[in-house]
Amino acid sequence: MIERKPLVAGAFIAPALALYLLLVIYPLARGTQLSLTDSKVGNAADFVGLANYQTMWHDPAFWRALGITVSYAVVVVVLQNAIGLVLARALYLRPRARRVAGVLILMPTLMSAVMSGFVWSSLLAPNGALTSLLDALGLHSLTRIWLGDPHTALWSIAAVNVWMFAGYSAAIFLAGYMNMPREVLDAAQVDGASGARRFISIEWPLLAPALTVNVTLALIGSLKVFDLPLVMTNGGPAGSTETMSMLIYTMLFRGGGSFAYGAAIAMMLLVVVVVFAGTVQKVLRLREERL
Amino acid sequence: MTNVQSTTAAPRAGVRQRPRRPLPVLIGDAGLTIGVALIVLPLVFTVLTSLRTSADVSDAPLGFPKSFTLDNFRAAYQSIHYGTSVVNSLVVLSLSAVITVIAGALAAYPLARLTRSWAGWVYRLFIAGSTVPVFVLIAPLYLLMRDLGLLDSYLGVVLIYAALNLPVAVFFYTSFFRQIPLELEEAAAIDGAGPLRTFFAILFPLLRPITATLATFLTLSIWNDLIIPLVFIQTAGRRTVMANAYSLVGTYSVDPTVLFPAALLGVAPLLVVFILLQREVVEGLTMGAVKS
Repeated sequence: MIERKPLVAGAFIAPALALYLLLVIYPLARGTQLSLTDSKVGNAADFVGLANYQTMWHDPAFWRALGITVSYAVVVVVLQNAIGLVLARALYLRPRARRVAGVLILMPTLMSAVMSGFVWSSLLAPNGALTSLLDALGLHSLTRIWLGDPHTALWSIAAVNVWMFAGYSAAIFLAGYMNMPREVLDAAQVDGASGARRFISIEWPLLAPALTVNVTLALIGSLKVFDLPLVMTNGGPAGSTETMSMLIYTMLFRGGGSFAYGAAIAMMLLVVVVVFAGTVQKVLRLREERL
Repeated sequence: MTNVQSTTAAPRAGVRQRPRRPLPVLIGDAGLTIGVALIVLPLVFTVLTSLRTSADVSDAPLGFPKSFTLDNFRAAYQSIHYGTSVVNSLVVLSLSAVITVIAGALAAYPLARLTRSWAGWVYRLFIAGSTVPVFVLIAPLYLLMRDLGLLDSYLGVVLIYAALNLPVAVFFYTSFFRQIPLELEEAAAIDGAGPLRTFFAILFPLLRPITATLATFLTLSIWNDLIIPLVFIQTAGRRTVMANAYSLVGTYSVDPTVLFPAALLGVAPLLVVFILLQREVVEGLTMGAVKS
């Protein structure tokens, strides 16, 4: 009866807590402290107060990275959930297609961003399969240098991100569909409500918890996007795909020149994730309660 | 006939053997087929192209395969040090998963049972970690690992993965323990079993289904991770599959007969897991969605 033995309870918690304090909480504190110094590679640093944050305020590269990261996240969250929802509803209404198709659409989710990046770098290359396909369909005017043009590179990467996880969103929405009370759905059908009507007034409200999970996961995932731009464009062309994570990595490990400045940008990434994910979660949870 | 039906009647439940499907349903069928095709066809294309010679591919990238070869896979196998990399990935993955599972389950047990406020705070501290992006921790972790002499070692990477995944493990095990009735523990206490014995002999076996789900989740996220091995391991012979595969970027431009087989080798072990443990993988991916 562990609740009556606080010492034993403490011993059970100790290993996990020690590991967590050492490798998550302590680094969080040390990262904050690091961002207030002029450390180059972590040695012999002086305290400089908010100097790094002042530099950041006037640094166009930081603002560009912030803008890129946020717009990327918005596009990915919206498209991934919209496509996932449409797929989930189509699968829900077709029990026989569900078994096979439900498995097939999860395939890209198993692939790492590195592997998806490999596949799509090649498919989207100037002489790659997509260009050949558009040519074969007589749509040559639509071809672009997808990853080499600052206007299309970020959105091409976002499309790959959506390709990877639309099936994942669909699986979560489908789990939401399967959890719906059968009687309600049957009653609506017997009453002869149209498909659109049933979706708007019954299914959509009942999908609220699945929507919260989906939006939160997609948001947190896309705000820290790193592997895809690293593999597909390396931040280019002209910095148009340099996300916040990419900028941090460059500052820290690719001759960016300042460990402390990288740590300061990392703190801003934490703020962005907490503010966006926190707000969205709060709004969606309130919405769940109202429904 | 079909048109008339589609405008007047919605599809009714329970009518299975309708000879013709109404128009909206047919449009849905077509849309679903196109959607699934858009998701799956790039993968099919990847497999087919990997099995062609590079001359055949550059001749007609979309053409019907006129050649068959396994040479691309052989070349990719060597260039990403596949054999060693797989062993490295498996070592890192299994050690960190074992630590996460045992430490997470041990901590979750009292956290689920205790009603004191400090237990609530410890629980919240763990859960808060799930929103912290790894990039926020990477600089101080690098300095810490350097000071501990754990750079370029399996141990360092294993401990980092174990710690980063503890929030998920604590969250799932705690919610699972709350569903286990207290009577089991009371009976064990009457029989004279201590807390450790109760935990390992009685409670831990009950956790098997959720541990399987958690393990598949950990497998996917650790196997596919790039940033940790990229930063913390320098020696190619110790790097995981993703880190060694990443070294292909830049060296071979975008030749599909080089990149496609490498990508397929990278995902192959996960596909095997997926085929064997389909239910656990789908659950591992959608955990949390089903709750609440």
